[in-house]
Amino acid sequence: MTDQVMMDVQGLEIRFGGVVAAAGINFQIYEGRNLAIIGPNGAGKTTFLNMCTGYLKPHAGKIIYEGEDVAGIGPRKLVKKGVARAFQIPQLFAEHSVRENILMAVAAASGYEAPLTRLEDISGASEADRILEMLKCSNLAERPVQELPEGQRKLIDIGVALALKPRLLFLDEPTSGVASTEKFAILEIIAEALEEENVTSVFVEHDEGIVERFADEVAVWNRGEVLYRGTPQDILTHPDVIRDVMGGHV
Amino acid sequence: MNAQILALALFDGLSYAALVFMVAVGLTLIFGVLRVLNVAHGSFFAMGAYTTASVGSAIFAAGFAPWLAFPLMAVSAILIGVLVGGTVEKLLLSRIYEMEDVLQILVTFAVFMMLEDVQRLIWGVQPLFESTAVNLLGTIEVFGIVYTKYQLLFLPAVAASVLILLRLGLRHTLTGHLILAVTEDREAAISIGIDAQKVYLVTFIVGASLAAFGGALASATTSVIPGMGADMIVLSFAVVATAGFGQIEGAAIAAVLIGLGRSFAVYFYPELEVLMPYLIMFVVLLIRPNGLFAPVEARKI
Repeated sequence: MTDQVMMDVQGLEIRFGGVVAAAGINFQIYEGRNLAIIGPNGAGKTTFLNMCTGYLKPHAGKIIYEGEDVAGIGPRKLVKKGVARAFQIPQLFAEHSVRENILMAVAAASGYEAPLTRLEDISGASEADRILEMLKCSNLAERPVQELPEGQRKLIDIGVALALKPRLLFLDEPTSGVASTEKFAILEIIAEALEEENVTSVFVEHDEGIVERFADEVAVWNRGEVLYRGTPQDILTHPDVIRDVMGGHV
Repeated sequence: MNAQILALALFDGLSYAALVFMVAVGLTLIFGVLRVLNVAHGSFFAMGAYTTASVGSAIFAAGFAPWLAFPLMAVSAILIGVLVGGTVEKLLLSRIYEMEDVLQILVTFAVFMMLEDVQRLIWGVQPLFESTAVNLLGTIEVFGIVYTKYQLLFLPAVAASVLILLRLGLRHTLTGHLILAVTEDREAAISIGIDAQKVYLVTFIVGASLAAFGGALASATTSVIPGMGADMIVLSFAVVATAGFGQIEGAAIAAVLIGLGRSFAVYFYPELEVLMPYLIMFVVLLIRPNGLFAPVEARKI
């Protein structure tokens, strides 16, 4: 853990019609501190992710990353700067194999030299196998993505994100849609891989057990504002959080 | 029925199908990736023909070697594809991808009308004829029929090579995979840093070059005249619709079907010549509304 600010969000505002999804958010993301964002549905968590990863342009405010305001510059440019994103529903190319999906991201990260080479022969192709091994998915390499169960698709989606060589990775509900018996095992693999690759993560999550286990820090969102921030132990036992966010039960 | 006439109809149909395929496959590629029905495609065909015929006449009159006719076709096609196709995509189409289909068709139709006049401006309205390539390859006798090798062998061979190269290129090169990725899910492609704009530009240039190449190949066998682009675009629409939009191999088979249908009509029912391609399309769409080779869509309700 460090006190080095990676992304500094200043006065972020966005409205959809009359709904305020971000009401002047000031927030810092620190290098090496894995941050969980919790809060009720409609609190503005995904909207915040969308703004931090370039998918949404805020109506006001700045997102300072590497000394530059990156608000609204678009996902493609942010990926090149080292900010990646994994979605609630994995965004994979269903008709391509697992390895091909990762190879395309490897190619994207290295800037597509040699456009006519075979996908398997691009420079850095071995990177795909390394990532698959790290995610314990080597045995899936040749399978078409559309055949895989949700949990494995989530892992491959993380693999695609890791192939982009991010420093900061936003994950929207990494365990949603995954059978509860598999959740911990899958997140264990993801957390190990992120640590090995030196990636700081920010993840939206509903499962308190997961938050407690994998987050260094928790931020509580509601109605477009950050209400509380602290260690998982402090936040998850905070009486106001239990009442306002978790509906009174832990 | 006379066997010789039957063979003639077969040869005519195949060589014509090869030309139509070149144009139709570009059209279907552009539609499959960009989701734009490009009416201006006929202009690329005509401009490829005009460029090849006019430059060919000039260089052969100046005494250059006749075999240059073949590389000239490829160079003209790429030139038209990059300069005209690239400009159209960059200046116009790239701005309207998010808009309604009708608007996109209107814009490409407007481009088509402008390019028709540009052709008249540059090349005038007199027919051009430049057949060095056909003469160079000579003739062949099959079943007692003397036919040009260019039409009977060269055109189908070129079309088959284009089909194979396109398939290999799309399935086995990095660029091909990027094109397929953007086609499958544009948002996901952008999220991993693929430049969708550039993929669209490259695809459009490839499609436009194919149409221009079709024109370049056709220019050796026929007079290049104003309006040839309009004829070709309507016919290749029929091929693409018969095959199913976005179907590359399907376009080849539909081109053969429609090419043969048309040439058999010429010999046996001349009144039906113009009608035949649309009759085939009509019957196919009546039975399979999405085209012969379109994947069956899941019912929405």
